[in-house]
Formats: sequence, C-alpha cells, structure tokens
Amino acid sequence: MLDKPFGRRSLLRGAGALSAASLASWAAGCAPDDDALTFFFAANPDERDARMRIVDEFQRRHPDIKVRAVLSGPGGMQQLSTFCAGGKCPDVLMAWELTYAELADRGVLLDLNTLLARDLAFAAELTSDSIGALYDTFTFNGGQYAFPEQWSGNFLFYNKRLFTKAGVPAPPTTWEKPWSFAEFLDTARALTKWGESGRVSQWGFVNTFVSYYSAGLFAMNNGVPWSTPRMNPTHFNFDNDAFIEAVQFYADLANKYKVAPNASETQSMSTPDLFAVGRAAIALGGHWRYQTFMRADGLDFDVTSLPIGPRRTGQLACSNIGATGLAISASSQRKEQAWEFVKFATGPIGQALIGESCLFVPVLRSALNSDGFAKAHRRIDNLAVLTEGPAYSEGLPITPAWEKVNALMDRNFGPVLRGSRPATSLAGLSQPVDEVLRSP
Amino acid sequence: MTWVDAPATATPEGRITTKGSGPSRRRAWAGRLFVAPNLAAVAVFMLFPLGFSLYMSFQNWDVFRPPKFVGLKNFGELFTSDPLFLIAIRNTVIFTVGTVVPTVLISLVVAGVLNRKVKGVGVFRTIVFLPLAISSVVMAVVWQFVFNTDNGLLNIMLGWVGIGPIPWLVEPRWAMASLCMVSVWRGVPFATVVLLAAMQGVPETVYEAAKIDGAGEIRQFVSITVPLIRGAVSFVVVISIIHAFQAFDMVYVLNGPNGGPESATYVLGIMLFQHAFWFLEFGYASALAWVMFAILLVLTVVQLRLTHRRSWETSRGLR
Repeated sequence: MLDKPFGRRSLLRGAGALSAASLASWAAGCAPDDDALTFFFAANPDERDARMRIVDEFQRRHPDIKVRAVLSGPGGMQQLSTFCAGGKCPDVLMAWELTYAELADRGVLLDLNTLLARDLAFAAELTSDSIGALYDTFTFNGGQYAFPEQWSGNFLFYNKRLFTKAGVPAPPTTWEKPWSFAEFLDTARALTKWGESGRVSQWGFVNTFVSYYSAGLFAMNNGVPWSTPRMNPTHFNFDNDAFIEAVQFYADLANKYKVAPNASETQSMSTPDLFAVGRAAIALGGHWRYQTFMRADGLDFDVTSLPIGPRRTGQLACSNIGATGLAISASSQRKEQAWEFVKFATGPIGQALIGESCLFVPVLRSALNSDGFAKAHRRIDNLAVLTEGPAYSEGLPITPAWEKVNALMDRNFGPVLRGSRPATSLAGLSQPVDEVLRSP
Repeated sequence: MTWVDAPATATPEGRITTKGSGPSRRRAWAGRLFVAPNLAAVAVFMLFPLGFSLYMSFQNWDVFRPPKFVGLKNFGELFTSDPLFLIAIRNTVIFTVGTVVPTVLISLVVAGVLNRKVKGVGVFRTIVFLPLAISSVVMAVVWQFVFNTDNGLLNIMLGWVGIGPIPWLVEPRWAMASLCMVSVWRGVPFATVVLLAAMQGVPETVYEAAKIDGAGEIRQFVSITVPLIRGAVSFVVVISIIHAFQAFDMVYVLNGPNGGPESATYVLGIMLFQHAFWFLEFGYASALAWVMFAILLVLTVVQLRLTHRRSWETSRGLR
C-alpha cells in the first residue's frame, strides 16, 4: 500500500506522457529509417530462406547496398497496391507471368530496356544464356518489364513403386517423345484401385494445380493456345473444337472414367497429400511440389511430360511458362541499386544459387545444366523433364484484364469440370471474355 | 492504496462555490478534451472514409494512377451493363431472407426456453452463446469440415437417417443453403440475447392473468410474449438485415473469393471486394458501397415506419 496519496492529476499526466512517448516511438517506427533497397516477394518459409541466401550473397558482394526483404502475405497484388498507394512502392518486386501486365499497363513497372541499353555486357550475357520464351513473357507493349528468375511450369510426378506394382510401363522420359491422351488414360485406369467398401483406394491421377488451368494445359497439348494472340489477346479460344475436346477429356478423367477424384472427393484430403502418401500414382503439378514429395516417407517418385491430344499428334508435348520475374518500380529512388540487384538475382550467380536450392527451376541455361542443379535433384532420373521444361513451355495469355478473365473462367469452368455441363458450353464463355478484353 | 483528490477545489461543490462560472467552463473544456481522442478516431476512421468513398464513387481510381472524374458513370454501369450486379442483388436477397427469417424464429424459441426457470438452463445458455465468442473466419473454417461431402459430420449424421451424401459446398444450389445455415448459427446468439432481455421485461402479472384465463404455455408465448417484445424483434430484424447485406468474411472463407461455386454465393460484399481489391476499380466499388447503403437505408426506414405504425395501432387498440 502506498502511504502517499496518488492524485488524479498525476495519474492523468502520467497517462498523457506515456501516450505521447508511445506515439513518438510508433511514428519513428513508421518513418523510413534507412536507405535500404526494398525487395518485395512472396514465398513459403523454405522459399524465403532460399531467396534470403541470394540477398545475403548479394550484400556480401555489394556491401554498399543494403537490401530489406518485404515478404508478401496472401494476395500479393493487394499488398502491393496498398504500398504503392501509400507512396512506398518497393524498389524491386516479384512479377508474376499472368498479372505483371496489369502493373506494367498502369506505369508501375520500369521498362528495363532503358537500363539494359547501357549495360551491353549484361545484355549480351542475357541473350546468349536466356530461354527466349521465358524472356519474352515479360516483354509487353514494347517494353521489358521484368527478367525471369524461375520457371514454374507444370509436368507430371509419378510414383515409381505403384507403376512397377501394377505392371504398367514407365511413362516418357522427355518432352520430345510424349505419350498420348489414350495412353495416359489407359495408364491411369490400370493404376486406379478400388477398395472393399466400394470406394477408390488408389487414384490413377490427381491434379495439384488450379483445376481450370490444368484443363487449359491439356488443351494446349491438344494443339490450341489459350488466346490469339498471346500478348494483348483479342480472342480466347474457348470456342475452339480442339480446346473443347481437351477440356472434356480432362473433365472425364474424374466424372466418366473415375480415374481422378472429383471436387467432393478432394474435400477430405488434399491432392498433394494423396500423392505423398502413395494413394495416387500420377500428380500434375509444378516444381513447387518437389520439396513436399521429397520429404514424404517412402515415396519413390520421378517426373514425366504431359500427354498430348489427337490434334497435336507428331509434335512435342509442352508445359506452361508460369514464371516469376524480378521488376523494378518506376517510382523507385534507388534505380541503380535495384538494377544491380536484379542483374545479380537473374544473372548467372543468382541463378546458380536458385538451382542449388532444390526449391526452384532456374531460367538460365548455364544454371539449368549446372552440377549444382543436378545434385539438388539427384533423386530424379528424368532430369531432362526439368532442364528442358522451360524451353518446351508455351505461355498463357498476357493481358491487363487477366483478373477479370480469371474470375469469368472460375465461374464457367466449374460446371464443366464437375460434369454437370459439357465442355461445349465453354463456347459461350468466349464472347463475355472477348468483351472484357475490348473494354477492361 | 487510497485515491484522494489532493486540492480542496477538486470537489464539485467547492468549484461552484469558490470560483463561480470558471470551474464549469474548465469542466466543459476538460470534457471536450476527454472525448477528443474518440472524436478524432471517429473523424479519421469513420467520417473521412465515408466522405472519401462518396468522392471516389464519382471517380475512376486504380490506386496507382491519379483519380479521374467520371461523374455518374460508375452508377450508370452498375445499373445498366453489369449482369453480375443483378446476380449479386438476387443472391444477397436470398441470403438475407434465408438468414433473417430462421434467425428470428429460432432466437424467439431459444429465448423463450432460456427465459424459463428450468434446471440446467445455465449450461444450455452457455452453449447457445458460444458462437458469439468465435470469429467468423474460424467459424467458416470449422464449418468447411462439417460440410465435407464424404467425411463431414453433417453428412455422416444424415447418413444415420438414410439420407445420402449432400454436396454442400460443391453444388451451387446447396452452397447457398450451407451459407445460410452457418449465418443463422452465428446470428442466433446475438438475437437471443436481445430477445431474452426484452422477455425478462414483460410483467409477470400479465402471464398470471393469462393463466387464470386458461391460456397454455404456447398461447401465452404467441399472444403475450411476442406482441410485447415487438420492439426488440424489430431491432433484431433490422440488425440482421444489415449484417446479412454486409456479409463478406464468412462467404470469402466458406465459398471462396469469387463467391462460388459458379456465382451461387456471389453476394454484394464479395462483388465489392472483388472490384476494389482484385480488379483495382475503387471508384466502381465505392459506387456499389453507396448503392448498398441506400438500399439498407430505405429498408430500415420502411421497417421502422411499419413497426411504429403497428405499435401505435396496438397502443390505441389497448386503450
């Protein structure tokens, strides 16, 4: 107990002083406290560590440039728009294949050609070592708005033990000698097992990617691109017969042939988990699943190419580009420092680090064919599927209206993939999508 | 510890007698000072966004570029050329009716039960009020498990009575029903609290008189309790309608960011969020927000007028 009385005024003064002190420290915390280069990216904890290794290596080689990583939460575009609206657009930012055009179109991203023109040595290095399709993905309306830094195309993982057990021949080892839709279906059928309860105990095929994107991947492998042209498209090929046939084939895998789980069946267990625990023989996904599958107990897996449809017979199979790149904000006050960082991360050293991380597929040929990348993927026999994947990739449409198109696709592909409408109903989607493209 | 006001002038009597009007001015000044932080918060976090969104509804703004004045174009597009607006309105109305009606009916029954002095009512009361303490997002995640088609609790229980698995969140027609169920589950506790408080204010003598006249429990509830808590019921209806119209977080988590499957749960809240934060059309989203506000305002005014008229007629009838 206090002997001295504690006055109300003293209490209020104390509270006032405390509030002022906390407000002052809060304001100081919000103020730009240093001159660091900000690097905005999205990553899971493992990927964050791999990217931080690149940041650390860059800082070791450039002690005069301090880099502050800004990790994006879910909904990177929302976070980015909030930053930029508040006048704190990050200096270097991760750009996604499908959404960067939205930022480029609004003048948020710097045209890197302006800096590349002054750096002829790096430009030459980039030209000789880059993969054209990936580099061109970030060329929009005559500007180069990002340099690719990792390939996220899709391919198939398969469980070697389940293939052997079912006596099914191993799938193709490269993109050059693909299997057909029919061969793929036969294999998936042979690998689908039914339990005593009448339920499927082992699926032939599972999709671990966004379902309507995967359906579109099958369409690409049936000889039809998603849109015409790819950059700033005026028409989406949902009404093309080849597109419709391929989407129908993909939907039938779950609804007609019952070799893949339908929407209800994937509610209780995620598809990556089904593959990881050996309850699915083939899984469609990108390299971002590699880490999960590598850690799964007793899972002996390899990778293979996607199958091709009857309208692409005689041609190579293809993946999608799905790359992320590094861009520089047009409003950055540290463009020179940002340029050094982008050059480093997308150049040979950064790419070698990316390749060794076992988390990403690099985009420069030198890094793809390096010992470091091979060592990080020593469990994979068909390494060519990964090393040649970027070169055998075809791009998805690049348009500033992508988010609106995506929302329309989500709504219209659902009934087709659930089997409640035929894929021919997608022909009706072309018109509203084209309208959005005309007036986004 | 003792709390003592040190100066003698600190007592109100002292101030008035010794300093005349001075202390009252000081007291008024101190009062204003005390409410200033709250007023500032209201101004910054409520009045400014309100004014700003009204201003933005006449602009075309994507955050990255300066706003451009477009007059009434956003409102025009909303009413004439956006097919999804009508879908969102339809879904919101279905959701509102599907939420408010069951919420009020269930809350009336639950409050009626809780109002009785029966054994174990304390435990029941705790169980009923539990959803009030859970956040919408957590609730939606938990319900996702409950609605699981193959292994969900609800379908397992329906299986016991011979009803086959229902694709709750997969089929569009069931998705809206699922959403309404969760919303009712969330809304019942709050409505029950309000109705229970009102029920406890109904004089016991009225029930005693009814009992003497031979009215049973149900008759008492329908003819005495419900009419006498009409004001509280009206309040619950208005608040529930406002909540249902503003539905967003639960739909976003339970049915996905697009209000799926297809456009089954595409309500106005989802439409607003999608335009603002996915399509970066903040002007259009602001226009939609003001349209939502106008609809709610009209609904509330109409509802209050009807209630006032009814209560006036009732009071005249009683006389």
